[in-house]
Amino acid sequence: MKTIYIKVLALVLVGAGLTFTSQAQSPKGKSGTFALTGATIETITKGVIQNGTVVISDGKITAVGTNVTIPQGATVIDCKGKFIYPGMIDGGSILGLSEVGSDPRTNDYNEVGDVVPQMKALTAVNPNAVAIPITRVSGVTTSLVVPQGGLFSGTASLINLHGYTPDQMYAGFDAVVMNFPATGRRGFFDRRSDEDIKKANEKSLAKINEVWEKAVQYHKLDSANKGKVEYYPQLQAILPVVRGEQTLLINVNASKDIQAAIKWVQEKKVKKVIFSGVSEGWRVADEIAKAKIPVIAGPVQSLPTREYDRYDRPYANPGLMRKAGVTVAIQAGDRNMNYRNLPYHAGFAAAYGMGREEALKAVTIVPAQIFGVADKLGSIETGKSATLFVCDGDPFETKTQVQHVFIEGWQIPMVSRQTELYDEFLERSPGVKK
Amino acid sequence: MSRFYRTPRQWLLVLFCWITLSALAQEEVKLAPVTRTYAITNVNIIQGPSRKVDMGTVIIRNGVIQNVGKNLAIPADAVVIKADSMYVYAGFIDGYSRAGVVKPKDEPNRERPKDPGNPEPAQAGITPQNDVRTSLNPAEKSVEDLRALGFTTAQVVPYGGMLPGSAAIVQLGGSAANDMVLLGNSSFYSELTSAQRVYPSTVIGVMSKYRELYRQASQAKTYESLYASNRAGLERPVNDKILEAFYPVIDKRVPVLFKAERILDVNRVITLQKELGFNVVLGDVKEGWDMINKIKAANARVFLSLDLPDAVKEEKKDDKKEESKKPADAEKESLEKRKAEAIAQYTAQASVFQKAGVTFGFSTASAKTKDIPANLRRMIAAGLTEDQALAALTTTPAQMLGIGDRVGTVDNGKIANLVITDKSYFNEKSKVRYVFVDGVLYKYDVKEEKKADPKSGNAKKADPNGKWSYTTETPQGNSTGVIKIKNDGGSYSGTITSSMSGQETELNSIVVEGNSLTFSFGFNAGGGTMNIEVSLTIDGSDFEGTMSVGSFGSFPMRGSKEPNK
Amino acid sequence: MKRIFISLMLLATACLVFAQVDRGNVLIKGGTVLTVTKGTLENTDVLVKDGKISQIGKGIATPAGYRVVDATGMFVMPGIIDAHSHAGLDAINEATAPVTAEVFTGDAVNPFQVGLYRALAGGVTAIHAMHGSANAIGGECETVKLRYGVKDPEAMKMEGAPRTIKFALGENPTRVHGSGNGIVPRTRMGVEFVIRESFSQAKAYMEAWDAYNKAKVQKGFRGAPPAYNRRLETLADILKGNIIIHCHSYRADEIYMLLNVCKDFGIKRLVFQHVNEGFKVAPELAAYGAGASVFSDWWAYKFEVYYSTAYNAAILTKNGVTTSINSDDGELMRHLYHEAGKTQKYGQLSDDEALALITINPAKQLGVDNRIGSIEVGKDADIAIFKNHPLSIYTIPMITIVDGVVRFDREKDADDQRIYVDPKQTIDVTLHTATGHDHESCMQGAEYQTARLFGFNLLEK
Repeated sequence: MKTIYIKVLALVLVGAGLTFTSQAQSPKGKSGTFALTGATIETITKGVIQNGTVVISDGKITAVGTNVTIPQGATVIDCKGKFIYPGMIDGGSILGLSEVGSDPRTNDYNEVGDVVPQMKALTAVNPNAVAIPITRVSGVTTSLVVPQGGLFSGTASLINLHGYTPDQMYAGFDAVVMNFPATGRRGFFDRRSDEDIKKANEKSLAKINEVWEKAVQYHKLDSANKGKVEYYPQLQAILPVVRGEQTLLINVNASKDIQAAIKWVQEKKVKKVIFSGVSEGWRVADEIAKAKIPVIAGPVQSLPTREYDRYDRPYANPGLMRKAGVTVAIQAGDRNMNYRNLPYHAGFAAAYGMGREEALKAVTIVPAQIFGVADKLGSIETGKSATLFVCDGDPFETKTQVQHVFIEGWQIPMVSRQTELYDEFLERSPGVKK
Repeated sequence: MSRFYRTPRQWLLVLFCWITLSALAQEEVKLAPVTRTYAITNVNIIQGPSRKVDMGTVIIRNGVIQNVGKNLAIPADAVVIKADSMYVYAGFIDGYSRAGVVKPKDEPNRERPKDPGNPEPAQAGITPQNDVRTSLNPAEKSVEDLRALGFTTAQVVPYGGMLPGSAAIVQLGGSAANDMVLLGNSSFYSELTSAQRVYPSTVIGVMSKYRELYRQASQAKTYESLYASNRAGLERPVNDKILEAFYPVIDKRVPVLFKAERILDVNRVITLQKELGFNVVLGDVKEGWDMINKIKAANARVFLSLDLPDAVKEEKKDDKKEESKKPADAEKESLEKRKAEAIAQYTAQASVFQKAGVTFGFSTASAKTKDIPANLRRMIAAGLTEDQALAALTTTPAQMLGIGDRVGTVDNGKIANLVITDKSYFNEKSKVRYVFVDGVLYKYDVKEEKKADPKSGNAKKADPNGKWSYTTETPQGNSTGVIKIKNDGGSYSGTITSSMSGQETELNSIVVEGNSLTFSFGFNAGGGTMNIEVSLTIDGSDFEGTMSVGSFGSFPMRGSKEPNK
Repeated sequence: MKRIFISLMLLATACLVFAQVDRGNVLIKGGTVLTVTKGTLENTDVLVKDGKISQIGKGIATPAGYRVVDATGMFVMPGIIDAHSHAGLDAINEATAPVTAEVFTGDAVNPFQVGLYRALAGGVTAIHAMHGSANAIGGECETVKLRYGVKDPEAMKMEGAPRTIKFALGENPTRVHGSGNGIVPRTRMGVEFVIRESFSQAKAYMEAWDAYNKAKVQKGFRGAPPAYNRRLETLADILKGNIIIHCHSYRADEIYMLLNVCKDFGIKRLVFQHVNEGFKVAPELAAYGAGASVFSDWWAYKFEVYYSTAYNAAILTKNGVTTSINSDDGELMRHLYHEAGKTQKYGQLSDDEALALITINPAKQLGVDNRIGSIEVGKDADIAIFKNHPLSIYTIPMITIVDGVVRFDREKDADDQRIYVDPKQTIDVTLHTATGHDHESCMQGAEYQTARLFGFNLLEK
């Protein structure tokens, strides 16, 4: 037995190359000036720079290129043989809103009522959720946290995965969330007749229309009376959407529902719209493209929605939509708090027809553009937020190690509870005998 | 969440009680026939498959076929049925159904079982000691319905769970339960049906329990004979009615009739048969064609289901040249094609079994009675010959059930079970005119063909006016009630009544379009009103349709108009 | 009496002649062969005769009548084995009692589930179709080969695979029986007791039969045999070492508990399933020789998986525990190769170590490593062929072979792979079920629990 341990130890020291430096018990993020040198930089928007340097100062990228002067006092990180990418943006999570899936007391994403757009996800984000470090050390730096349930679930917010208050995390984008009434079945337990499903769908649609009409009326009264209207929190929350100032994020999946949602959006003349989920988008990709509605597709690693569908449709879905001209971002859409797997969802999309380049955009610049934050996030460019990561290979490749993560210029400690457990238990002491 | 759901649940309970109305049956006194001797004259006699006598006579006396042939003397005491150019067949035999079996009232037991792993046997569906003969009633509508199609004999099974009890072969006539019985304990009826919320709650639990009971029964039986041979010094065997019920099966004196509709049911039943070694009869097989080799190897007898999936409706194809097809259309087309192919397989099953040399009868257990003649014609169109179909309705089941000496052909000395039709039975326009069960005559009036012209699309407008009695099938069992509808000069009003509340509830938004009738009504309970929607199709003095209770689902509803007083 | 049962059993086995299995003749040419146990062979051919690997080498001539699969530029690996699945079953949980050792998922095999084809399309060739985790002692499980296309459920079963049984510790059995029905177990203390009690009863049952059988042959013996009991028969077979325990477990303490129970009853063949905190007791697992079958990275869906780490498989492997990665999920099952790849991110396992997690190691855990799990002469020709290295994110499973028969071919297969089409389906309705991972599907079929969870128990009888 002992020999095994010695072997293991040797393996770890030689093979894995892990460093057991004496770190503080709970390492903190660091800010300042950094120079990441000698890296291959995939800027996303401005091509690939070989042997380049990125300078980070005051939260921003202050220089990118091959001929970059490293500022005095900068912490230099040698990135030779390594790669730099903008932080990945996940377009739909419950990060910080949920701790333990089965325990309702730790879940804060589904408020009572089917029309509750005034419920703000940002309010309930726990900046110290265990899942947050677990996600960011994999290079996913930014996430849209989305309330769930009902017809109007609440208001989603984009957050960067670093900070001690929601305000420190807020990344500058909100959207009212709507679940478009679904004509499909909810699962194996859903034994309603086709007729009942149709009726329930019509009823939900009528409710959504009623809400929208009221919101339009409210907008008219509000405009006429210069803001002096009765307190009506639901409609107040939708008001900016009616006025075209805020985005409506519509969760919609079945092809029929997507078509109905497109029609609805056009009828109601909703200006800013994003479709999310869109698992059957490939069936009606042309129509989505024609309507010019961007989508956040995912989860990519999922099952076909119909028994008779080709097995790889979910993997091919983002690529098929992209080919039809749809603006496609990708989300992990995971319920097991594995938003860290966003690069793998993108990787599957890449392998099954989307191509690496488009897939990379779909988790960086495209969501940044869809969310209207492309001036700050989504690419490695001077003047943008220093939200990026350094890794030792293709960021989609499963075995690639992410080695440094910066979020808004803060160097993130590369630890999470999961790495801490690894450190403690790889060679447990005492072993079998105390 | 839970608040939202709890209240409607209470509503629902009240609702189902509310729609349960006791309908008083009219006491009908049947007059005895003048004679029990009949002569059916000038009739095409189909004595059996490929055995035909043209324009002959059949003489019935005291419930038995006395004579069959040409130029027979008509007894003086006989009622003569001039069946000119009609067809007479041996009454059909249904291998497995519940015709005439009274359905036990489901007592809603909403209490959570205390120890679901150890339920009372009855709760677990284990009642093999039950005998279907104790729950027969010849006045059940199912008897009349099957008989009207020409069925005169059926093997019927009790209601229950995995082991409902023993089956019996009955005559579809008579005026008392005992009149019906031709043979008791004809098979040991079994299903793979699991219990609700108690063990065995899954098919794997049922399979295991079946094996265990069977082996325990073998063990008990062996010990009983040991004890019987010399009792001294031995512990007295425990008297166990459940295990005793297995003994005739273990001795192979009685076969196991196993419900086996789907291919996987067939496989599971054969798995049990192989392990335990009983004689098996597969009942109501709908999907057996891929199991034929196994069925043969198991030496299983088979009753094929007379239920078929609905045929694909012929759609009028536009003569227009094919427009550019959307991908969705192409997809739909290929799915329709696969569906049609699947339906064809079900329809061809009987013919495939025939060609493979598996003998089979038919069962009506899950078939809609009114579809049976059409389904037989579809099977014939799919390759079964008329003679083969007739054999599966008469001689083969008679042999399989061991009653071939009594029924199944039109021969001297057999029980007078006959069906007389105006055309060959398998002709689409054929109508059943007379049925004899045990020599008792049942006459059928032939209604005038409806002159509705389907081409005009103007089906005769239904008349909803009047008083209708209805039945709905709810999870709490069947319930009945009365609907009254009045035409107030173009618009309709009406009520639905309840003996429970003693109230009439107003119907809302009554719409009559063609032969469809829809309305809704509010149901008030627990401080809220639920809207209940009813949608019916009227066919003369009958209607059929559904009652939708919000998101709780839809329930079938049917009824008929009460005659004007 | 026992003799009667034995003869009954013999009769049963004699009757259960193994269903006819198609076995193919194939030559897989020119691939990079990842044998898993014997290294990687570039540009190598694999010859398959009658469903078995008959030769591995370069430039093998094509025997007459053999199908040729050109694997040039592709990667040829042993078919993936999923040691924890509930696919292809019509019933998963007999959730009505804390101990249901007598039930058997092999009775519920459904070869028509499209999910089986979808797994084949992910390179999977064999699955462990398990009972669920509602009970402390669930039912026996079936090892299924994905011979998708056959209609006889018996032909899906891996002939000769050892018997296995599902156990479950922690939240699931305590929730279903303790919290749900107010019967033991409501706690992890209760779970231990239920298992010890069951084994003790089985031991007494075994002893009673032994005594009866001994007495029976004595001259003049007359007496009653012990009452036949299938639950105790199965449990006794575990004690006799005839059945491998596969135990659903998460927390280190409960894993350690079962190790102790098994030690006390002399049970050696033991695999822990999920075993999210296995890493905490890796030395104990290794010392006992127990296996571990884990998720690559699932966590957070319930409290007992809150303290998980994606490094679990690596820690276990490096501590000498025979470890596999499983799916317990119809979607995850489609890319176990990718799940195995995650151990290179979380713990930097070598290619062979990572591949072993989904091939030879699960084969060992199911007791079928003499038949499948690596590419070696004499083994079943269960083979998956990939474009790009199977541990790369850019890989695509192209062809999957079971017993030498091509059961999945990405280039040639039709989209619609249903075998039986529902003749009553309405074609317009989208059966749009929630996709994505829904944590463990282990609890499926504990139906009224599920129903209650969703508030759909309104019409429950």
